[in-house]
Amino acid sequence: MKKAFCRLLPALFLVALPSAALAEVSVDSTTVLRAFQESRPGFEKSTFLPATQFLGVEATKLGGGNLSAHLYGWGRADLADKSFNDDQLNGSLTYGYLQYRFNAANAQARAGRFFVHEGIINEQVDGVSARTDLPYGFGVSAFGGATVHTAHLLDEKSDGKGDGIFGGRANYRYGGLLELGLSGVYETKAPVLSDPALAGRFGDRRLIGADLWFSPYRMVQLMGHTSYNTETRGVAENSFLLQLKPLKDLVLSGEYNEYHDRDLFYSSVLFAGMPSMLSGNNLNQQSRNFGGKASYTVNQKVEISGDAKHYTREIGKADRFGGELRCNLADAQLRTGLGYHYLRASSDFAIVPSSTASGSFHEMRVYAMRDTKSYQVSLDVIDYLFKKEVTGKDSALEVLGSLGFHFSPDLTLSGDLSYGSNPQNIDELKGLVRLTYSTTIAGKGDPK
Amino acid sequence: MRRSPQTLTFLVLAGMLFALAACAQLKALPNLPATHPEALATGPVSCSECHEDQQKGTMKAFAAFNHSAAFIANHRFYASSDDTLCASCHKVSFCADCHTNQTEMKPSVKNGNRPDRAMPHRGDFLTLHKIEGKLDPASCNRCHGRANNERCIVCHR
Repeated sequence: MKKAFCRLLPALFLVALPSAALAEVSVDSTTVLRAFQESRPGFEKSTFLPATQFLGVEATKLGGGNLSAHLYGWGRADLADKSFNDDQLNGSLTYGYLQYRFNAANAQARAGRFFVHEGIINEQVDGVSARTDLPYGFGVSAFGGATVHTAHLLDEKSDGKGDGIFGGRANYRYGGLLELGLSGVYETKAPVLSDPALAGRFGDRRLIGADLWFSPYRMVQLMGHTSYNTETRGVAENSFLLQLKPLKDLVLSGEYNEYHDRDLFYSSVLFAGMPSMLSGNNLNQQSRNFGGKASYTVNQKVEISGDAKHYTREIGKADRFGGELRCNLADAQLRTGLGYHYLRASSDFAIVPSSTASGSFHEMRVYAMRDTKSYQVSLDVIDYLFKKEVTGKDSALEVLGSLGFHFSPDLTLSGDLSYGSNPQNIDELKGLVRLTYSTTIAGKGDPK
Repeated sequence: MRRSPQTLTFLVLAGMLFALAACAQLKALPNLPATHPEALATGPVSCSECHEDQQKGTMKAFAAFNHSAAFIANHRFYASSDDTLCASCHKVSFCADCHTNQTEMKPSVKNGNRPDRAMPHRGDFLTLHKIEGKLDPASCNRCHGRANNERCIVCHR
């Protein structure tokens, strides 16, 4: 199926090519050349010079106006030492699909590689999908195809995913007041992995769930979703968000999240295999967190927000609180912000738990950027101050400066230089050169 | 309970009639525009600055989608049921800056010249993730759960 799809996808794009000449085409290209060195005890000193090309192409108004093609991916060539795996060259097609939009009911069909975000479903699929609104407030969507495989796990001949996947969502909307959704995803049988420790902790990906949006008054919104793992026969996740808008520019929100680790991580080898901090396995380990956030916007130029969150896990409890200030000045040519957060966590959350360790740290950040028609310049400083030292360091600092020139509204050349001092490295100096080409399409928001 | 052939035929015909009637009604249902008809200001937008709050048909109020700090922090709740509306203004690549399967570099590195954009894992997250991962692994799982990022599986085997 996968091979057939790999042949089908280029064929689909070839079919679309003749009409592409008449289409509106937008190209987003970012070329990034990085340079950094690594020197770790026990390893040879390495110099890395990876060049990465990100490329996105969108062709709309094909074939009568309703067909569009969407493509995005990246490729990397290591110009010095191999940077991340055994290959000097690497790349990935993030998405590449044809989409047909019908003239009514928000109906659309897609074929190719795409992401599905519907209800509890978050998948990347090689296949087909379709969705439409239906009369009387109903709606339906469905997808099916092959899973997108990733890197093989160590000592395994698989990434832990089944080969086929399908699912969908049905929803009902009542005016601008209520939306209820039911969704599900079914993946074919997961491969058998050799690690005996995964027995009972890892298996097929099969989830069903429900989602809710309820707004009885303009100033109130309640959203949430619940997912249920049909393999483990347990609730994987409950997440709810209540948002209040008592004033035009004031937003208050409260959230509650509950997770059951075995049910949630059952189809993820990486997470199912992680040993619990308590008992050597993560079966039935529960997590809960709840918190609130308030944000107030002043004149569309200044936004101030404050937030607090409480975490409860079987190993301990933690709290995080802080605030942020963001400014968009001079017609958004000058953007600045600062933030502070403190995580108060017990020693159980420390990197190496012990009676003298701590998982608490302060996070401080300040940034400023100026983006004019001819140049852009920015400075970003972020510092984490640990309550107890981490491998002999009491902080992790990163300072990142960037300077760029707009040769035209579409073409920008910029360079970043960052300095870091952290528990991983005594000193860390990184350089990056970035060439960005982006066609300006008025109809698309935030092209930058 | 066994149904007679006549009953089955009637049910099938009734179903087809209902489907035909529904299809005819589909043409009357409104469509969101493929792209936003006017250029938008740079930075977070407030839909309600221009759009009236009461929407046609079953649409939610545009004010619900004002890009406040709270909206950005909780955008997953909106994207899971209104991605068609998101697509009116955002290219999919905007989402893919962070949400992708095979990650080449941290989003904040690729977009190091955009400190104003909300990006995960700024600064020395390599150290921080050893604390944050214990605190809220579900938040890691959303993006990294099944991606088997090559950097992750070096240590997490």
